[in-house]
Amino acid sequence: MMDISKMRNIGISAHIDSGKTTLTERILYYCDKIHMIHEVKGKDGHGATMDYMELERERGITITSASTNVTWKGHTINIIDTPGHVDFTIEVERSLRVLDGAILVLCSVGGVQSQSITVDRQLRRYNVPFVAFINKLDRTGANPYKVKEQIRDKLGHNAVLVQIPIGLEDKFQGVVDLIQMKALYFEGPNGEEVVEREIPAELRAEAEKRREELIDAASLFSDELAEAFLEGAETESQIYAALRKGVLTRKLIPVFMGSAYKNKGVQPLLDGVVHYLPNPSEVKNTALDLNDGEKEVVLKADPKEPLVALAFKLEEGQYGQLTYIRIYQGMLRKGDELYNPRLRRKFKVGRLIRMHAHEMEDITEAVCGDIVALFGIDCASGDTFCSPGINYSMTSMYIPAPVISLAVFPKDKASADQMAKALGRFTKEDPTFRTYVDPESNQTIIQGMGELHLDVYIERMKREYRAEVETGMPQVAYRETITQRAEFDYTHKKQTGGAGQFGRVAGYMEPCEEKEYEFVNMIKGGVIPNEFIPSCDKGFQAARTKGTLIGFPVVNIRCVINDGSTHPVDSSDIAFQQAAIGAFRQAYEKAKPIILEPIMKVTVEGPSEFQGNIFGSLNQRRGIIVSSTEDNNFCRIEAEVPLSEMFGYSTVLRSLTQGKAEFSMEFLKYGRVPNTIAEELKKAYQEKRRKEQK
Amino acid sequence: MVRKELIRRSPLRALEKSLKEPLKKGELAVVASPKGIGKTGCLVHIATDALLQGKQVIHVSFSTRTDHIISWYEDIFKEVARKLNAAMEVHDEIIRHRVIMSFNQEGVKTQQIIRSLTAMIRDGNFAADQIIVDGYNFALATSEDLRLIKQFANEVGVTIWFSATVKPENEKIWNRDFPPSLKPFENLIDVLITLGESEGNILVRLVKDRDSYPMKDLSVHLDPKTLMIVEEKK
Repeated sequence: MMDISKMRNIGISAHIDSGKTTLTERILYYCDKIHMIHEVKGKDGHGATMDYMELERERGITITSASTNVTWKGHTINIIDTPGHVDFTIEVERSLRVLDGAILVLCSVGGVQSQSITVDRQLRRYNVPFVAFINKLDRTGANPYKVKEQIRDKLGHNAVLVQIPIGLEDKFQGVVDLIQMKALYFEGPNGEEVVEREIPAELRAEAEKRREELIDAASLFSDELAEAFLEGAETESQIYAALRKGVLTRKLIPVFMGSAYKNKGVQPLLDGVVHYLPNPSEVKNTALDLNDGEKEVVLKADPKEPLVALAFKLEEGQYGQLTYIRIYQGMLRKGDELYNPRLRRKFKVGRLIRMHAHEMEDITEAVCGDIVALFGIDCASGDTFCSPGINYSMTSMYIPAPVISLAVFPKDKASADQMAKALGRFTKEDPTFRTYVDPESNQTIIQGMGELHLDVYIERMKREYRAEVETGMPQVAYRETITQRAEFDYTHKKQTGGAGQFGRVAGYMEPCEEKEYEFVNMIKGGVIPNEFIPSCDKGFQAARTKGTLIGFPVVNIRCVINDGSTHPVDSSDIAFQQAAIGAFRQAYEKAKPIILEPIMKVTVEGPSEFQGNIFGSLNQRRGIIVSSTEDNNFCRIEAEVPLSEMFGYSTVLRSLTQGKAEFSMEFLKYGRVPNTIAEELKKAYQEKRRKEQK
Repeated sequence: MVRKELIRRSPLRALEKSLKEPLKKGELAVVASPKGIGKTGCLVHIATDALLQGKQVIHVSFSTRTDHIISWYEDIFKEVARKLNAAMEVHDEIIRHRVIMSFNQEGVKTQQIIRSLTAMIRDGNFAADQIIVDGYNFALATSEDLRLIKQFANEVGVTIWFSATVKPENEKIWNRDFPPSLKPFENLIDVLITLGESEGNILVRLVKDRDSYPMKDLSVHLDPKTLMIVEEKK
């Protein structure tokens, strides 16, 4: 059985283009799993091992979070390759959920960039300990000292160098290990031989100084080390132990460095993963006991306990659906029976797989802490599996609501079938990607977190499913809300043949900051019988799915009923639902409804010389510039911009800045649409309705 | 309370009245004190007051953490707007009228700051009325730098408030006299206010008011807790 203390589940998080894929590739290589090194973007037509989807190869980014198992010096490491683009944030977050530690990769030239900040925030949210790796030391302008300071200043972490570089840019040769006080060089055709030598004389003083800083920082976590250091008798193992304590509590970040592309510095980083990042038993994980009112229970990393595992990733492979799971508690054997609390269904574990970069290995058992894959299981990502007899669910993950939608039209019958298949698959894989058929227009609508997010799925439909589709204009997910309280008193009466319908509801609606929708029953004396109260609630909910301004859902509204009347024969569930719908419409106009639109937090980074152009482009898009930060000749601008104005911004930004600036955005909040634009939206909606009625 | 009333009752009206006339566009004002007395709070209060009056403000800072500055504004707004009706709406409106521009202290040239401010005002279409410059390093600046800033203030029509750190060991001197470290800029500074601690109070002293040197403690002082300007209790 595998020793849990020798297990690591890590992710590699980074800003796009900081060399994450190359680093992952090198890690796999040095762990002796693959035997040739391919460059990203496939100079030799092979591409890196981890991002095997064709589309990713084309864009040079990694989208899926495939988990890969490697062995390093007797430790088994599962590497979860996290996607690098903000538009796919849910994928990053889902991966973070199953990680115990991470490597934050930073570019030695670009340093801490907007996305590093996003990724750092995610690591913080899931409390993931990490080490930093400053990559690309061979690049012109490389400055690991500056990047280390940025980790301190911009991310607010206690970053400490555990290495210093030997030469930089085209003179970069290796690193000095500040704990062992040895110079490390990487020789052999692919840097596979790590050669230890004396520290070059000219770096001696610098190394001594940095070592002292390192031990000072580490001493805070170990009195033993602090005392030993005073006597000049500190040992390597004391330093490792102290640093490890700091890393596990996220109070210290050891900084490694190198150039993955030039095959330098990767092996010491792997040693660092083993030294500093936690094993699965050192991380607290909880689940909710569905049999005990969703009480939180702490999971035990003990193979003898009942099994609890989380399905975090589905993949359509050559041989059917592959479900990646992380085992948190207990042990899983081939042939075991498991229970899925969401589907309330038991299933049998057929094949149990361990995934390596390109091959899969059939295994017979796996223990808590490990990441493995199952074949042919019907489930959705985010599902919990447990041993029959317990009914646990892992805490539900935070899933943001989609902010953009797009109509998709298949070109022919064959494409329509393929498209349906593809959409079914995507919605299972990615909870932020949704799809539905609009009952009015009969169009298939897809929804997601951004333009690029939807683009990628359209592309995947074409490539993987050969579904030829055309798309409509992207549509923003507007909302409606009310601004003041308004009374209603509405009677629904119908007496044309057959059974009559009667129901009267009275009360008021008012704005409700805290909740999307709230129903309050203040009926006294049973003027509306208890059995019809839920009917009123249902009626209001039905009415609020489509506001009368532009047909979008009405949010932040409280509906209160305090009076009504009933008929002994004619009152029914339907009658009260209809009465509530009527009451809602009656009061809605009086409650001064307004339109809300998604506002994005946009971060643009680029050379200062283009600052004016960037300011201008944001201003034109109704953006509010919140701040701009300038450092040397680089600026970072943060703004709040309505999503509806951001379509095509990447193209605009590229042409304004000669391709030297980049931006990222994420959903921030819903904000009020200005009057002039609200009027246009209303007009367009009325126009659309008129056409539909003809 | 309605907004008008809030503006009228602001302790900053008392500060304004102590001057011969309110600050005009193109004028430079400086708040000087040793470190840690409360210059930032004082400047943020001045900016918040201008924002409430519907003016647009650029806040220039030399710290890399813009979120810290934003929380200064949030705290002071909360204090100021405690009694205000519809405070949230006002809050959203004034955020739209405020922008924070931060520069790395090391090596940033005055020309660069002016260039970026111009870009914000012209290209960003941000019609600033007031600029707050918190933490400008007067020790490294030349009178030519400040002359350029004054010229810029005139051209774009803004009032600029600076904070300046003066050394505490010079306190005795600057309490009675123009702070020596600001001497080279004396002609370019229209209004100079100093903050000084005395028996747990933070006094506000008007040192220079255009062509006169009143050297008097004002009826306002700084609340040691919130670091906001308050009127003296009578």
